[in-house]
Amino acid sequence: MIEAALILPAVLAAICLLLGRRTRLVEAVSVAGAGSMLVLGLYLVLRTFDEGSVDEGIWYMDQFSGLMMLIIVLIGFLAMVYSVPYMRHEHDSGEVNQKRIAYYYGFLFLFILTMVLVVVSNNLGMVWIAVEATTLVSAFLVGFHNKATSLEATWKYLIICSIGISLALLGTIFIYASSLPILGEGSDLHWTSLMAVAGQLDPSFLKIGFVLVLIGYGTKAGLAPMHTWLPDAHSQSPSPVSALLSGVLLNCAMYAVLRYHILLIHSPLGGGFSSGLLLLFGLLSLGIAAAFIITQKDYKRLLAYSSIEHIGIISIGFGFGGFWGIFGGLLHMLNHSLTKALLFFGAGNVLQKYGTKNISEVRGVGRTMPFTAALLIIGSLAITGSPPFSIFTSEIMVLTAGIDQGNLLPAILYSAILVVVFAAFMGHIVKMVFGEPPQGMEKGEISKMGLLPMIVLAAAILIMGLYIPDILGDALRDIIALFGGLV
Amino acid sequence: MVSTLSLDAINTLAAVILLADFMLVASSRMRSLTRIFALQSLAMGCLAAVVAFETGAEHIYVVAVLSVALKAVVIPRFIDYTTAKIQVNREVEPLIKIPGSLLICAAITILAYFVTEPIMELGTAITSNCLAISFATVLIGMFMMVSRKKAITEVIGLLIVENGVFLAAISTTYSMPMIVELGVFFDIFVGVIIMGIFAFRINRTFETIDSTVLRGLKD
Repeated sequence: MIEAALILPAVLAAICLLLGRRTRLVEAVSVAGAGSMLVLGLYLVLRTFDEGSVDEGIWYMDQFSGLMMLIIVLIGFLAMVYSVPYMRHEHDSGEVNQKRIAYYYGFLFLFILTMVLVVVSNNLGMVWIAVEATTLVSAFLVGFHNKATSLEATWKYLIICSIGISLALLGTIFIYASSLPILGEGSDLHWTSLMAVAGQLDPSFLKIGFVLVLIGYGTKAGLAPMHTWLPDAHSQSPSPVSALLSGVLLNCAMYAVLRYHILLIHSPLGGGFSSGLLLLFGLLSLGIAAAFIITQKDYKRLLAYSSIEHIGIISIGFGFGGFWGIFGGLLHMLNHSLTKALLFFGAGNVLQKYGTKNISEVRGVGRTMPFTAALLIIGSLAITGSPPFSIFTSEIMVLTAGIDQGNLLPAILYSAILVVVFAAFMGHIVKMVFGEPPQGMEKGEISKMGLLPMIVLAAAILIMGLYIPDILGDALRDIIALFGGLV
Repeated sequence: MVSTLSLDAINTLAAVILLADFMLVASSRMRSLTRIFALQSLAMGCLAAVVAFETGAEHIYVVAVLSVALKAVVIPRFIDYTTAKIQVNREVEPLIKIPGSLLICAAITILAYFVTEPIMELGTAITSNCLAISFATVLIGMFMMVSRKKAITEVIGLLIVENGVFLAAISTTYSMPMIVELGVFFDIFVGVIIMGIFAFRINRTFETIDSTVLRGLKD
């Protein structure tokens, strides 16, 4: 059954590429296809949430993969819906031709395919292959506009992520080496077989393996100081792609790191080593991101640095560990992806209306596009951790974990940086939303259809902030059990 | 149980791989870069074949053949084709002069021996001595990427890093499960093609292939 979630996007990508210039048809296929992907994905997610892990040999899903799958299909669908008005506008303003629109949708499906492959592969080597494939496929989406700046961003993205990921391969080899003396010839690098013998794995190999894996996949996840490709790639991509990169791809890379973290927790080495590293890289990301958020002049880069900040928070959550740390970290993965997608969609509207990414040239969004402005304010309040939105809940959980575990200094640093980021981020957004619009700027939203996914996301983060549905809460508890409960 | 001939062969091939690293750093012509990369990949393939012969694991033969076919023939040809197509000049244009680069690489190699010593003691594989060379290759590949000007040399540096990782796989675990190896080869191959496409586009847009022009995006 899991194969279906891989075959469907492959078929849809092929259809989009074959349809070529029949743009209306391509759009219909994309939205309907992403919708059916959503239904299929939700079915798989609910199945794992209900019945526990599903092991189909090379495919494997447990509640953790389920949570990632939920993020992929949900944000994937909304990004696809948002793409329709966005790409029409790009076409009407002469930025892209019809052939390239089909190519855009085709690669968007391939991108979703590779991300699904990351979370349903049982084999850790396959996970590596899939993560590298996400880079290769999304490079075309990052470089979609073919301008000098987007080519530069694509080149950096390709080179930095490929080099990072080759270290992750080296790490994977060492993890494999740690299992060879126990499993011998039957060793297949499958997650399930590694977990079965986790207690006997060689600690020295695991140690060096985890460091390499963390640096490697951490590059892809945007953890500082390996994050340098991220602001460029996220700001140069078309907005729906930025939403997918920030909200989904970073989580997929983090997912890969966390699989190894789980392995280490169950090994003789214990989770202390990997938790410490996660905490260190998390705090570093938070600090570096905060510095660049304060001085930022470009609103898409602002959102990109905010993603680094939030990946840092997720990493800190798992670094603190304990029930609340892991619960908060997991919940934050979902919350961040919903909120960041909302903000990138909003930024897409602003970019198409004002034609600039400079914060200083955007004034009076509240007058020109009142709905976008309202949604942007909601999204910004949410992303900076204001109640009653969902990120507030998960950030508080992570803080609780820090205090519970007696990690006072990191907990204080964490809350101090969050306060600074709140002030800086809101300052930038408030400047854009209020004030006098530039001369000759017409009133009116860029598109009504583009508002729809944004409203859905805003509603989702509000509801999730007020209460966590039981089915999700139970699934998160099951995932915490996977992390060995109270670590 | 392992014949001395095989051990000698493995050690010689590993030495060739290390030598190729230094030749790469020392060469000043674009064309010789791809030639040396092909030579290194050939040595890597042969090493894999010797390991396959010694361990009797048939799937390593497949890996060896693929390594030679892809990395010693197809990819170097493709890079030569791309360089010819974008009419890049034939100088390598190092940012760090060649004698200095060689000195740095010598230091890198010593460092690699130093850091891998504790891991090599753990290794049970007949090839565990090669681990230091594989680390040196990874690091020298990275050095190539940061110290040379052209975008194409960054791709070659990346391929050298991949070769180092490949050698590490052989020297610690006799390569990885078949399906993983195939996937890795596929990713490398597709990756090189995609980088070639973008190098082409960069050349068309900037009218140069120096990666130093890619400095427009800043905070």
